[in-house]
Amino acid sequence: MPEPTRIVVRDTPVDLLRDGSGPPLLFLHGAGGGGRWLTFQQRLAERFDVLAPSHPGHAGSPTAEWIEHISDLAFHYLDLLDTLGLERVHLAGASFGGWIAAEMATMASSRLESLVLIDPVGIKVEGWIYPFLFGMELPQIVATVFHNPMAALALAPPDMSIDTLALLYRQNTALARVGWNPYLYNPLLRRRLARIATPTLLVWGAHDRLAPLVCAEAWRKEIAGATLRVFDESGHVPHLEEPDAVAAAVTEFCRTRKGTR
Amino acid sequence: MKFYYFHLMPYVMDHDEPSSWVTLSNRHYDPAVGHTLYHQYLDQLEFAEALGWDGICVNEHHQNCYGTMPSPNVMAAMLVRRTSRAKIAILGNGLPLRENPLRIAEEIAMLDVVSGGRIVSGFVRGIGAEYYSTAVNPTHSRERFYEAADLILRAWTEPGPFAFDGKFYRYPFVNPWPRPLQQPHPPVWCPSQGSSETVEWAARRRFPYLMVFTPLERIAQIYGEYREACERHGYTASPYQLTVNLPICVAENDRKAEAIARAHALWVYHVGLRMLPPYWQPPGYTTEASLKRLLATRGKMPTELTYEDLEEGGYIICGSPATVRDKLRVFSDELKAGIVCSGMNGGSHEATLEMMQMFSEEVMPHFREDAGVDETVGVGRS
Repeated sequence: MPEPTRIVVRDTPVDLLRDGSGPPLLFLHGAGGGGRWLTFQQRLAERFDVLAPSHPGHAGSPTAEWIEHISDLAFHYLDLLDTLGLERVHLAGASFGGWIAAEMATMASSRLESLVLIDPVGIKVEGWIYPFLFGMELPQIVATVFHNPMAALALAPPDMSIDTLALLYRQNTALARVGWNPYLYNPLLRRRLARIATPTLLVWGAHDRLAPLVCAEAWRKEIAGATLRVFDESGHVPHLEEPDAVAAAVTEFCRTRKGTR
Repeated sequence: MKFYYFHLMPYVMDHDEPSSWVTLSNRHYDPAVGHTLYHQYLDQLEFAEALGWDGICVNEHHQNCYGTMPSPNVMAAMLVRRTSRAKIAILGNGLPLRENPLRIAEEIAMLDVVSGGRIVSGFVRGIGAEYYSTAVNPTHSRERFYEAADLILRAWTEPGPFAFDGKFYRYPFVNPWPRPLQQPHPPVWCPSQGSSETVEWAARRRFPYLMVFTPLERIAQIYGEYREACERHGYTASPYQLTVNLPICVAENDRKAEAIARAHALWVYHVGLRMLPPYWQPPGYTTEASLKRLLATRGKMPTELTYEDLEEGGYIICGSPATVRDKLRVFSDELKAGIVCSGMNGGSHEATLEMMQMFSEEVMPHFREDAGVDETVGVGRS
């Protein structure tokens, strides 16, 4: 695992994991995924210069009090690209990170070579209400998020010390700040998805119980030309549940669909 | 010492669900039973005034069987016209839970005018579970609390109309009719469980601090912090700024009191306060510093408390009138608390009324050195 480096994005300190070589790929993690360099990232780093920052309030990145809305996070990562002098990148995001990535793509798809959304949340889908994870205890969260519960071990905290519990609370707080109500979506985002002019891959777990396949269909409908790949042995986090297969699919997509559609 | 009779208005029931809050289905609520309970509970509060209690208290909780007063102001309104002397303490309104907190300023002013200035207005954030039941973002809880309190206090004291432009609440015209009868405004109390931020906030404004269902040791510690904060702000806390809320169980002798408490007083802790761990601390409801302090000193969860824990820890006061007097002396003489808010549960409505009567005749008269003093003068206003 690469050592985290500390960068400052317009006054906001960010812990960044970066490794690999090739074209730059910005990966935005989901809840609990900050500060980790998992198989999925390792595989991508074989072909890309992978940048994995921790969201403010997650892992080593301190809380940024100014963040009040999901669009603040999207602008934060556009600012991060400017800070690092990256004109165009491949952008991938999982779950909550997928939501941020989608917001960024509606703002600045000209900055993106390709867009990969892995079981994103962020839009309201008729007939579906996301289960309220904030009200669940750990076993129920794992059962909702993972089809293969063994994959959850990759995100297990190192211990249950006061500092670790405080970190988990801080991360939850950062999520709740932008996602408590409306819960895990931005009412304005869905209509704006039509602005995305970047080749887009939707990666979805067949057994996602947080954002099931009916959500994938809504995303595919809104982003013209988007490709949907469903992974049969996965729940909400296919990049953790089938990391090799998902990394291969992402790599293939990004290497061949580069540029505007 | 002043005595306030406190009610939760619980819907007492047994169930096997993991939580009595948020998710306990309201199919368990039988409105016909509720009709009887509400009337018994209101009768008890009215009886408290007749027996000489100084105040009667209602409070706000949502979606649970622990306390069935989602609107404390509605309950206070019922009491205002049926009582004539006692203070009516609303402990309190959950300020951040309201989308329009100006409505609280209006409702309290109405109650204050009708009651002839008998309202005590508690300001609370609501407990964690409330943020699940109202969907208000708990990461905004503290900021919304401060902002709503500022709005309400200004609405009561500044001649309107004026514009208020906050982060969460914005009004081009703040100009509530009626204005409160008590001047400059009804006394404000802060019921809380001891977060250092709230202690500081209340002490700075001379708002009485009310410790709710807390062990004696912690009450002593928080009172100490509150007194220190008052000194830092240039004044000495009045005893009527130090308030405690704890259940009292009194009977002819210790043995009988213990039997009643074991049978009925434990319900609040073992069933009423049973809830899923996330409901206690929704994200952002607590500051990280307070959370760490809480984790470091964490005692038992309410459901884990035994009768002995409650009795020895001073969560409850239980015994014969003589025993109860002795235990209350700890609050009056050692902690120097000026006001005790207490609820009672005899196991039935009639038994509760009898217990209240025994307390008013055999305990209260021994603590009346301050009979001529109005506990709301000079406190509760910044």
